[in-house]
Amino acid sequence: MLHRASPAFAQTPPLVSSVSLRPLTARAGVIRVGWESVKRLDPAFASSDSEIAFLTAVYDYLVDVTTTDAVAPRLAQSWQLSEDGRQYTFKLVPNAKFHDGSALTAEDVIYSFNRLRDPAVGSPKISLFDNLENIGAPDDLTVVFTLRTTEPDFIYSITDNSAVIVRAGARNLDTEFIGTGPFKVERYIPEDRTIFVANEDYWQSGLPYAAGMEHRYLDSNAAIEALRGGELDVVLRMPNARFIALQNDPNLQTVTFPTSGHDALRLRMDSPPGNDPRVRKALKMATNREEINAFAQLGLGSQGRDAPIGEFFAEYFDPESPLPPYDPDGARALLAEAGYPDLTFELFVPNTGTRPDFAVVIKDQWAKAGITVNINLVDEATYYGDDGWLEVQLGITGWGARPSPQQYLDFSLKSDGKWNESRIADPELDALIVKAGTSVDRAERIAAYKAIQRKLAEDGPLIIPYFFPTVGAARKEWQFEGGFAVQAFPGRTNFSRARQA
Amino acid sequence: MRADAQLSKGDLILTLRLSLLRRRRALRRLWQDAPLSVLGGIGVIGFLLLALIGPYLTPYNPIANSFADRNQAPSLAHPFGTDNFGRDILSRIIYGGRNIFALTGSATLIAVGLGTVIGLYVGYVGSWLDQIAMRLTDALLALPSLLLTLVLLGALGNSRFTVLLAIVILYVPIVTRVVRSVVLDVKTKAYIEAAEIGGESRFHILFREILPAVLPTLAVEGALRFSYAIFLVASLGFLGLGVARPEPDWGLMVSEARDWYALSPHMLFFPSAAIVALVVCVNLMADGLRRLLEYSETD
Repeated sequence: MLHRASPAFAQTPPLVSSVSLRPLTARAGVIRVGWESVKRLDPAFASSDSEIAFLTAVYDYLVDVTTTDAVAPRLAQSWQLSEDGRQYTFKLVPNAKFHDGSALTAEDVIYSFNRLRDPAVGSPKISLFDNLENIGAPDDLTVVFTLRTTEPDFIYSITDNSAVIVRAGARNLDTEFIGTGPFKVERYIPEDRTIFVANEDYWQSGLPYAAGMEHRYLDSNAAIEALRGGELDVVLRMPNARFIALQNDPNLQTVTFPTSGHDALRLRMDSPPGNDPRVRKALKMATNREEINAFAQLGLGSQGRDAPIGEFFAEYFDPESPLPPYDPDGARALLAEAGYPDLTFELFVPNTGTRPDFAVVIKDQWAKAGITVNINLVDEATYYGDDGWLEVQLGITGWGARPSPQQYLDFSLKSDGKWNESRIADPELDALIVKAGTSVDRAERIAAYKAIQRKLAEDGPLIIPYFFPTVGAARKEWQFEGGFAVQAFPGRTNFSRARQA
Repeated sequence: MRADAQLSKGDLILTLRLSLLRRRRALRRLWQDAPLSVLGGIGVIGFLLLALIGPYLTPYNPIANSFADRNQAPSLAHPFGTDNFGRDILSRIIYGGRNIFALTGSATLIAVGLGTVIGLYVGYVGSWLDQIAMRLTDALLALPSLLLTLVLLGALGNSRFTVLLAIVILYVPIVTRVVRSVVLDVKTKAYIEAAEIGGESRFHILFREILPAVLPTLAVEGALRFSYAIFLVASLGFLGLGVARPEPDWGLMVSEARDWYALSPHMLFFPSAAIVALVVCVNLMADGLRRLLEYSETD
């Protein structure tokens, strides 16, 4: 195989880490990870898991987000929020070096973030930093972000997938990959693979444990077979049924983690029948969310309660929100009372993920309440591409995992949200969303999030039956310090602590 | 044919008996030469019967979910097992067969009918009309079938009717060519000339004199078209086109079962086997029809 550690290298005496005084074995092995192929590698435009996985290997983030949604230090070894909640001060690690040997300074951090918010660059991430007034550097190892107004979740914008630190003045980021990250790009072969070698001068001394890494670009089916056959070491994204089959494979270790990603069935509230609260309530009563969750997520997902806040946001989640109980006969009676005894819907469903399964179950469930659903599966790219998804009366929308619930609320449930697909316009809800997003009082935020869930459970345009799991399978030849963990956004999974057994 | 009308009743029965006898003899010969094609014909009839009466035999609703019955392996209660929604796969295959027969059968009949009329006419009349018709069919034949269907589905909407239309558009030129080639041969025969001299109408010549000579070829071509249509519809179903979930469709069932092949291989096996079995049976039957045609020619 390519780039296995040479025998001479393997005989090097163990080093001792200056930080932990723990003996380090020599780097060994090339960890082979299956991904779908990449299109854009410029951090400002990278978006898919495979693209972000590439960035995660080559670059470092200022701060990281963990599988339990905590914020963790990376290039910033510590940070502080000012009294008024408007200034974040980050202290950088002193010994980080780019792959070309130059030292990391505050200037690189400023350049990286300014590039994302520069309209001339045109990154889709620009709106994340709307509230950012300026970025300054009192010295080479300190960066200060000043906000216009308080935004307690702004730290999550700093952890955004695109927010990797590149060299000040770097151009050609689609073809030149100079980061401070644990791996260096040795060769990128489009549509085939990227070969990485360990960054010997990585600032986290001793890391990475592997001598190299390969991203192999395969479709999901081929990747799973390659993993079973020993041609790949790790696969992170796959259909649930495939994942369950892998759980029985004696050569593999498998893990699953909850995420905040979900599918929302949503009804327009600005036209009949969705403008009648009795109809909205009847649809909730006709829906058995536990059954949808079990059919679509096969026991791997976490239960949804019609709000975009679930178990993943443990602090905010209200498992007791007042959902109307499942009662198809009651729903039928309520619809008749509202003047819709024979309700028929055209349900628009993007043809990816578990959304078609969700649609098949809802059709069957609603039929028991006398509601006819005709499923219209649509090509996902077309559906979202021409904004048709914002127009349809009844549709299922997939929402990717996010580290804070605020984006879902700001974008889709505020009356002026840019993706207010249900056309909800509830001043009380708007006020709660603003309070949750700007208050610096933790208890007040939690109360606001719980009030939002209560409102959406009682009467809202959404049915959210489940939150997706994130899954991973790896060959047992590899051990992961701290346990095999997969990020909510699988591409963010870091392999610098993977060690060949 | 006019002479037939003057036959006595007894003669008519005798003729019928003779033709039946000849047919039985031909079938016996076919059974000796190519037993598989006879079995293929029986298989097609079997599928057809299943599609017609099967829905009355199965106790299960093909689109009703049952949480308790998910992913069951084949058993007495569910001979083909159940899928990930707890639906009985045998019932889904029976209903799916019904859909596939209705769609491909009607599409093939329309295509063969239209193709025959056009082929008879342009073949017999000839001249510039024939030239135009043939260049048009050349153009249509040059288009890959799946591509043309996808374009039509995109333009006219994703429905069964569009699929039917696509099959008709695809197969009319093919049938037209086959019919025309037979007509070109037949129209030089003396009995056609006799009919023309006798002052028979063009309609009479086309449909009473030429058509019977075309029928055997047409039967073979029709059967072949039918098998290709099944394959096309199954391919489209696999791509999720021309059918809406949760309707049972063999191609769609195969596509839905892909993620489950390791956990519930029967979900993948039975619909795939149904497609293969029907297409093979129809092809064998077409082969048998061709042989029967040869026998009657050599008689």
